[in-house]
Amino acid sequence: MAALETPQSSTLRQAFGNVIKYESVIHEFDPYFNYRVTQFLTKNGIYDFWNWFDDRTWYPLGRVIGGTVYPGLTLTAGTLWRIMNSLNIPLSVETVCVFTAPIFSAFASWAAYLLTKEVKGVGAGLTAAALLAMVPSYISRSVAGSYDNEAVAIFALIFTFYLYIKALNTGSLFYATLNAISYFYMVCSWGGYTFIINLIPMHVLLCIVTGRYSSRLYIAYAPLVVLGTLLASLVPVVGFNAVMTSEHFASFLVFIIIHVVALVYYIKGILSPQMFKVAVTLVVSIGLIVCGAVLAVLIAMVASSPTKGWSGRSLSLLDPTYASKYIPIIASVSEHQPPTWPSYFMDINVLAFLVPAGIIACFLPLSDASSFAVLYIVTSVYFSGVMVRLMLVLAPAACIMSGIALSEAFGVFTRSIKFQLPGVTQNSPVNAGDTGNVMQNDVVKTEKSEDSLKERPSRKNKKKEKDNVERATVVPKTEKRLSVLPLEASVIAIFLLVLLGAFYVVHCVWAAAEAYSAPSIVLTSRSHDGLHVFDDFREAYGWLRHNTEVDDKVASWWDYGYQTTAMANRTVIVDNNTWNNTHIATVGTAMSSPEKAAWEIFNSLDVKYVLVVFGGLVGYPSDDINKFLWMVRIGGGVFPHIKEPDYLRDGQYRIDSQATPTMLNSLMYKLSYYRFVETDGKGFDRVRNTEIGKKYFKLTHFEEVFTTHHWMVRLYKLKPPKNRIRGKTKKAKSKASSKRSGTLKKNPWH
Amino acid sequence: MAIFPNLTTAVPLLLLFIFSLLTPHASTLSDDSIVSELSALQSQSSTGVIHLNDPLLRRILSLPTPRPFDFLIFFDAQQLHSKAELSLPTLKSEFSLVSSSFYTNHPDEKSLLFFFDIEFQESQSSFALFAVNSLPHIRLIPPSAIDLKKDSIQMDASDFSRLAESMAEFIESRTKLSVGPVHRPPIVSKKQIAFIAVAILIWTPFFLKKLIAGNTFLHDKNIWMAGAIFVYFFSVSGAMFNIIRKMPMFLADRNDPSKLVFFYQGSGMQLGAEGFAVGFLYTIVGLLLAFVTHLLIRVKNRTAQRVTMIIVLFVSFWAVKKVVFLDNWKTGYGIHAYWPSSWQ
Repeated sequence: MAALETPQSSTLRQAFGNVIKYESVIHEFDPYFNYRVTQFLTKNGIYDFWNWFDDRTWYPLGRVIGGTVYPGLTLTAGTLWRIMNSLNIPLSVETVCVFTAPIFSAFASWAAYLLTKEVKGVGAGLTAAALLAMVPSYISRSVAGSYDNEAVAIFALIFTFYLYIKALNTGSLFYATLNAISYFYMVCSWGGYTFIINLIPMHVLLCIVTGRYSSRLYIAYAPLVVLGTLLASLVPVVGFNAVMTSEHFASFLVFIIIHVVALVYYIKGILSPQMFKVAVTLVVSIGLIVCGAVLAVLIAMVASSPTKGWSGRSLSLLDPTYASKYIPIIASVSEHQPPTWPSYFMDINVLAFLVPAGIIACFLPLSDASSFAVLYIVTSVYFSGVMVRLMLVLAPAACIMSGIALSEAFGVFTRSIKFQLPGVTQNSPVNAGDTGNVMQNDVVKTEKSEDSLKERPSRKNKKKEKDNVERATVVPKTEKRLSVLPLEASVIAIFLLVLLGAFYVVHCVWAAAEAYSAPSIVLTSRSHDGLHVFDDFREAYGWLRHNTEVDDKVASWWDYGYQTTAMANRTVIVDNNTWNNTHIATVGTAMSSPEKAAWEIFNSLDVKYVLVVFGGLVGYPSDDINKFLWMVRIGGGVFPHIKEPDYLRDGQYRIDSQATPTMLNSLMYKLSYYRFVETDGKGFDRVRNTEIGKKYFKLTHFEEVFTTHHWMVRLYKLKPPKNRIRGKTKKAKSKASSKRSGTLKKNPWH
Repeated sequence: MAIFPNLTTAVPLLLLFIFSLLTPHASTLSDDSIVSELSALQSQSSTGVIHLNDPLLRRILSLPTPRPFDFLIFFDAQQLHSKAELSLPTLKSEFSLVSSSFYTNHPDEKSLLFFFDIEFQESQSSFALFAVNSLPHIRLIPPSAIDLKKDSIQMDASDFSRLAESMAEFIESRTKLSVGPVHRPPIVSKKQIAFIAVAILIWTPFFLKKLIAGNTFLHDKNIWMAGAIFVYFFSVSGAMFNIIRKMPMFLADRNDPSKLVFFYQGSGMQLGAEGFAVGFLYTIVGLLLAFVTHLLIRVKNRTAQRVTMIIVLFVSFWAVKKVVFLDNWKTGYGIHAYWPSSWQ
């Protein structure tokens, strides 16, 4: 157990690195929302949290928070905070939130050890845990400050799998129940729980089809479906979806099948072989009828729902081209893009080389547990190929497989060296006994599981079997002693493997320190004259908090919604929870329209301030101009007068003098480049690397109120509506009051 | 009609009177003959798309405006069918799908809207008439069109982006005719479905029996192993990216068209061949490692073991090195060694 400390402490050390580098801040976008929810929870208690209606976002619609968030992360952090406070350790909520992810990554590493131990023994388990502690893909979600659902969900995922395998290996109802509870925690934490509820049934089906049915399988599976589904439907955000949507149907179908199969096995046990043959025909025909009926019901239910019961995200996994065709809002997120091969090298690094060896090792010999591991890696690697964010689900599987491969390879090579070292050859019998013990563990394990697959219907035979196993192991022990590889080649092989491992460690340290620990709210850049810190976002949110009214509404693209509500405490129109496409399209349309039309849209939404992010001065590439085409696309999806080709010159997106007039007149262009030419006299955009097309212009309906130090965030205020018409001053004056009420009437929400 | 004014200036009044009696009749006669000829051609074609050539087009255009029908022309070029980015064959089949759907939905309006396709190589003058110089190009000619370049309406790229459905919408918005639902032929016909269903029903009991006895291909773990490795290879090679983005296997070099580019520099993109090459490198190392630890170890001959192992180690080392090098070349990421700063 002492060895286990190492991977965990290394996880923690890597995860805290960025706190030292920056400060204790929360990263990115979604974590700010989670932080805000946690604050609410700790202040108002769980019942208020459950019933929380948030009027600070999605103005004027608002959002029911309690019923639409996965509460696992928030409740975990809230509980941690409460425990700490009751122990008289006064931590702020923010500190607890920042450090939740690293703590859970240590747990995940421990869970990976347990899972791999069940599959291939202690050695493989330790290696896998060590690999998981560093794997860059998971580091990206478990650095301090990355306070997101995945932080706790990956631990829950691995732990649920471990409990399933444990229940499968032992046939114990205790572990099966724990498994259901762990599954409940996973459902609370992350939408990715559907991966579990499809993967486990798939494995069960696979076991049945390949003739590996056993009562242990039944014990491991049936409680999960019954208890798990009941518990899952307790989570408000899931509710009746747990029985109504197609993502869950696979588990019910397999639940029926496993009962049919269990019945067949039971009848087989009590009947003579001849009687059984008669019974088979009977049972098969009845089973077919039942299955047919259930299938018909399922198909009818599925066909009655518009998306065939599948949510868009799941559909885009099965039919990878689905999202890019039909749902721009999913396709627009960079996390949902399919990865290219360098992504694998970045995210799992050398593990990509080792996984195939692990897959093969799992087949030699194949057990229930190792077949599950194979199924896990195969499905997760496929899904990661469709969406880059699912690399996170692949990472633990890759670690487990590589752990198995590395541990086996090291086992073989070290054994070869040990038996053939010149001084040791004479004493080999003695030493062989030593190493034999280590090896024996493995052998016993695999033998045991192999035996148990077919011929262990109940616990009664357990003792008898153990005797068998012990007798059986004597033979392979002697065999194994002979099978070694040449000494010098083994030495080179070990050297190369260590080199590979060292490369992995260096890469992971680099990834943790440089690539994945940037909080993206505070940016840094290194140049010849030292380190530059860009703290513009917090500057802008701070300005909003101090200089605007509490009830003012701020419009921005949805990426900045969570941060604005959490840090500036102002109401936003749309935020990162993209539940209402029309609302987002309205903002997209406003950003793509000319100033007057945009002003009208924003005014109808009671917007007072507009926030745009602009990277042209400092070369910050993920700014609003680069996201602009998505605003056009999403806006055009709902409001057809916005057409993408109007913004493209010969299919190319450009902002220089060749840009289309629609582009140059759009609100986004104007707000981003207003007065930009004053900075260097030429208006050179460092992100797009061109001079901008339209340099001198005035704003008619908006006025600039604040621009941050590096121009990264620019805030504009909507000018009040004009109440007189030039040239008709006298007439207009008398009509001014009526006109005003006219414009107000236009607003549908008053 | 075009000849008529010339004649009136040349002949006496009497003749004019006779002609004025005759012309309406003659005009409707030629109208009818053309329309009936087109209808005949239409019924010969299985989808209702008529193959157009220069003489036929000339005759159609000689009809007096307003013509009694709208028509759509799909400009086709056989030599460009091989160019995947134009996707002419797809568009052509979608076009004929719209045509057949229209005729099945409106059997009584058959002569109000005609669908034509025209081939570049045999009717170049017609292409010139419409000033078509790039494909894909689909054009709607309303009844009143006189100047073909100005009065006809070109279908935008956005109008055939969603294939037959958007073409139908285009027709509905520009003419007074509605196409109605597009009837796509099902991927498998009803008979085939019935046949497959029956086959499965018959096969299931036998399969179940075999399954219980435990000897199907599903029980062969080598197949599962090969399948698992293949899925892994397929995914890490980024093949899904190639499918979704429809990337080609390789590109022609811009500077030197005779050269082919297999590797694309820049991390957001990859080419097909590139992905498979690297996927192969990813996979081969693990396979070799498994080969050494599970198979080679059982070989009795020491020299054979030694030679194989050295080859294996060399290949693995080369593969890893190659991937590291390619990654560095593609994304610019180099490994940071973290040496003490005094060593540099």
